[in-house]
Amino acid sequence: MTDPGTVPAARRAPDAAVASESPVPLLSVRDLVAGYGDLRVVWDASFDVRHGQVTALLGRNGAGKTTTLRAIAGLNKLHSGSVTLNGQDLAGVPPHRRIRAGLGMVQENKRVFKRRTVEANLLLGGYSRRVRRRKLKDSLEEIYELFPALRGRAGTPAGQLSGGQQQMLAIGQALMGKPKLLMLDEPSAGLAPAIVGEVMNSVMTLKASGLGILLVEQAVEAAVGVADQITVLDVGRVVMSGPVGSIPDLEIIKDAYFGRGRGRPE
Amino acid sequence: MSTVWGGLALGAIYALVALGYNIVFVSSNVFNFAQAQLLMLGTFIAFWGSVTLKLPTVVVFLLCAVVVGVVAVVEERTAIRLVRGTEGLLVTTVGFATLLDGLTQVIWGGQPLQVPFFGPSKVLDLLSGNVFPVELVLIGVAVVLALGFVAITRGSMLGIALLAVSEDREAALMRGINVRAVAIGAFAAAGVVAGLLGPLIGPKTFAVATLGSSLALKGFVAMAIGGFGSAPGALIGGFAVGLIESESGRYLGESYSTLMIFLALLLVLLLAPNGLFGHARERTV
Amino acid sequence: MDVPALVRRVPSWFLPLVAAVLVALFPLFGVQADVQRQIILICTLALVVSGLNLSLGYAGELALGQAAIFAGGAYVSGYLGAHGHTELLLQLLAAAVASLLIGIITGVPGLRLGSWALAMVSFFLVLLVPDILQLLKEQTGGSFGLSGIQFPTLFGLTLDQEGFYVFVAVCTALWLLMLRNLVTSRHGTAFRTLRESPVLASSLGISVFRMKLSAYAIGALPAGIAGCLFANLDHFISPDSFGFTLSVSILAASILGGSASVYGALIGAAILQLGPLESTSFQQYALVVYGLLLVLGGVLLSNGIAGILDRVRVRAQRRWLPRPRSASFQGERLPAIEGRGLQVEGAVKSFGGVQALQDVSLLAKPGQVTALIGPNGSGKTTLLNMVCGYYRLDGGTIRLGDEPLSSTPYQVARAGVARTFQTPSIPPRLTVAEAVAAGRYASQKASFLSAVLRLPGYRRARNTDVEEARRVLALVGLEDLEHEEAASLPLGTRRLLEVARSLVSRPQVLLLDEAASGLDEDEVERLAVLIRTIRDSGGTVVLVEHNFRLVLSLADHIYVLARGQILAAGSPAEIEVHPEVMTEYLGVKTPAGERLLQTAGQESADD
Repeated sequence: MTDPGTVPAARRAPDAAVASESPVPLLSVRDLVAGYGDLRVVWDASFDVRHGQVTALLGRNGAGKTTTLRAIAGLNKLHSGSVTLNGQDLAGVPPHRRIRAGLGMVQENKRVFKRRTVEANLLLGGYSRRVRRRKLKDSLEEIYELFPALRGRAGTPAGQLSGGQQQMLAIGQALMGKPKLLMLDEPSAGLAPAIVGEVMNSVMTLKASGLGILLVEQAVEAAVGVADQITVLDVGRVVMSGPVGSIPDLEIIKDAYFGRGRGRPE
Repeated sequence: MSTVWGGLALGAIYALVALGYNIVFVSSNVFNFAQAQLLMLGTFIAFWGSVTLKLPTVVVFLLCAVVVGVVAVVEERTAIRLVRGTEGLLVTTVGFATLLDGLTQVIWGGQPLQVPFFGPSKVLDLLSGNVFPVELVLIGVAVVLALGFVAITRGSMLGIALLAVSEDREAALMRGINVRAVAIGAFAAAGVVAGLLGPLIGPKTFAVATLGSSLALKGFVAMAIGGFGSAPGALIGGFAVGLIESESGRYLGESYSTLMIFLALLLVLLLAPNGLFGHARERTV
Repeated sequence: MDVPALVRRVPSWFLPLVAAVLVALFPLFGVQADVQRQIILICTLALVVSGLNLSLGYAGELALGQAAIFAGGAYVSGYLGAHGHTELLLQLLAAAVASLLIGIITGVPGLRLGSWALAMVSFFLVLLVPDILQLLKEQTGGSFGLSGIQFPTLFGLTLDQEGFYVFVAVCTALWLLMLRNLVTSRHGTAFRTLRESPVLASSLGISVFRMKLSAYAIGALPAGIAGCLFANLDHFISPDSFGFTLSVSILAASILGGSASVYGALIGAAILQLGPLESTSFQQYALVVYGLLLVLGGVLLSNGIAGILDRVRVRAQRRWLPRPRSASFQGERLPAIEGRGLQVEGAVKSFGGVQALQDVSLLAKPGQVTALIGPNGSGKTTLLNMVCGYYRLDGGTIRLGDEPLSSTPYQVARAGVARTFQTPSIPPRLTVAEAVAAGRYASQKASFLSAVLRLPGYRRARNTDVEEARRVLALVGLEDLEHEEAASLPLGTRRLLEVARSLVSRPQVLLLDEAASGLDEDEVERLAVLIRTIRDSGGTVVLVEHNFRLVLSLADHIYVLARGQILAAGSPAEIEVHPEVMTEYLGVKTPAGERLLQTAGQESADD
């Protein structure tokens, strides 16, 4: 299990939000140990993402958030533990098949194909659905509805968009694959407050549509605003986990952020 | 005008080599030194099929496509997939090229073999110059393949995926693209195309074991002139090299033609390092 | 009697020298002429291969034109020899000059585009050889070859077969000795640094282009020399000797012997010469075998046979010849540093449509630690890269002291700006002392020639390198690890090593990029003590850091960057209570978040 002792909130979790939960979580991560090559960066992380809910993975830089996300996507080595998506164990499944199985990944730093046009980027997002191009073109409309700012810029190379638009494009690209679970890695990084608000509003919209979302954020308050569940990582371990309403005090999170929490040698 | 036709036909072959470099380069960021050797192998298989085995033309094409395609995949699995780093790849692809040079020499000997053209062989008079039908076919095929490459990369999902892989492998993986399959597929495609070209190139160049290294270099110059990764660039670069070769051969003498191509390469590298159609590469930080 | 100490005292060049003398004296032992001839051929091949090793194994650039340069040397000497200029030393000089010229002319355009281009441009040379020889038919005999090369003379005395043999052996031994001197010198370390990472090399003040060109051009020299020797062996040369097959066999010998080694060239050349090249039936299969060797060698052998032997030697030394502990460093660990102010004014930078930096100004003063903090994506790395010259400013200025800072990375380093990297960057197969001394490459010059000949200028530079490296190693507490392999140390130690490397040039500004990430608490504490020491000695320290606590405890002045702008600046006490900084770090409020937080707050109030 996760680090005992620090998490009174975790024990309260079941009764706090049991009403809205379906019995089987969309994504279930158990005792995950992950890292780069032989180096282990994350230990024994466990958390769930449920249909129509946002789980926020919080922690300061270097806490292991991105590593966890990459391990779920199959980009990093999973040393032990299990990742289950919609009942399917993802162990040994190559990354591109995980995407086809319903994983949508938005990597950090607005990782879009900067030399390609907005439309090409979006079409590519639908590649995993293996359907005709014309059908994909129909899906474009849904993305433009969610992010109207992209509509007029279909022919523009992605590298020429503003940072906020690139982030929206990155999310739109992942959505084109019709994922069941959307993973967002620091979508607010480097964006102006108004834009962050817009991005978070679209997260709310997506969640309302039934999508499960795993949100990795450094920006606690933006994340807390949209999250149903919160898991906080510090130095590679889960230090707190539970429904957002059950968190006694943001100070605990802040401690983890500013390094006032316990450090742990690697 | 006859030398112009001859030059364009040669140029078409160089353009085809450069196109092969591009297909592989775009999909896996590898410069396949052995690409020209694959074309050369195609000419030998064409000779084997049409002269030794006396097979019908269609079967010869099929045979070439299958054999060279398989060899290309073997190359990908051994000399590319297992190797890390640019220097290592340089060494192993040069090695694979050498291996193909050696094998063809062992099997078919060092003498040039004439590959018969399946179509008409009567000299045509076109725009007050003599031209063989096979030369016209070569020029046509090069143009069609270059345009086809552009159409595929611009217009199809596969093409968009290919360009995505070349820009950012990991991000492409996260869009559900099987990056490894794309890399192998590109090698196989480059091999199959090289094979299919064997029966067309053979009649112009003969099947000879030294063909590979000279095609490799001139194809490289074509690509350097046109710019890495650009199909129209490869076509124009190829024609430029072919014309330089035939015209300087005619006006200055045989011995000057290769030298002139080399000078053109030096000039391009010094004055326009990204070629005519290439992207400026981002700085490495 | 202390045998290990005695064995240790034998210099590393001693055994090769003994072997060379023995081989040179073979005629005295009655070794047959045909064996002598074989050895001459091995020597010439080894010379050519050693040139390739310098550019491929040390500088990381594949050149395939060695056969053409070899031909150049051979024909220049052959022409002289056929026209009565038989003096070998004169011929050697002419061949060397010719090869150097060919190297520079092909290296400049080839190196501008990087690896593939150099391989192709140099390979093209090989294809040109027959054509050029045909064009110069009057002088070279064209495709029939050049005959009538007279017997060589040395200082006017005609050399017979045996005399020539000795000359070749001595020549080869001398070249290998010079090459050894070069690659074991600070220049060798610079080559390895370059191969590991051009970014690292330029951050140490090494000009990447010039260094690569040097390696390639110097690598052409032995090929020219070998050509001269080859022309005088049979007194006849023809284009057939310098074709594609030779090019590939040179590459195969290099890979087989080990490209990153001096003596590997001899091993590779000997194996190819005595094995495949010897048998006539082999000719037919030569290319097949070379091809297989290259593919297998590229896949399996990382450092060739010499690499394997070297590993054995290192292991044996560890086992039987433990190194005595070196006396601890006695001098002053950190003499006063003359820091200069680093001033950024109005820096603007955008990538495509993204404004990465907007009007950023900051000042880092000597004798202070200036910290730059901010959430991910705020522009810290961009700013750092601008200072170091990797990106050009769209607007604004960067000044070091009173002078504008160059925008070429290696010149920034030479101006006195040193840095560490987020992921420590340390070339393989260097000792800790060497890796640290690499930081002094630009601050004290010693030419290639003085390194090769071990002139006093080089010795002075090397002694200072050693002394200064030990000084900073003592400062960061890594004295004991002086002789360990640097790249295989744990992360925390490598970070300290990087700090030592950046300090060894006594920089006027020290940029530390995320120096504390991945360190445990003890290591962070050591780093903090170190940074304070540097500051107190007058250094200008710029700390780019995520670790908020570390920054608060260390910095004299903090700049907070957010979305490409300076959000706040001030002392740690001011920053710690700055409301906007808190918001920025913890993220932006959204209406929904506001609501949820209020309820969360109420719950906690109830508790």
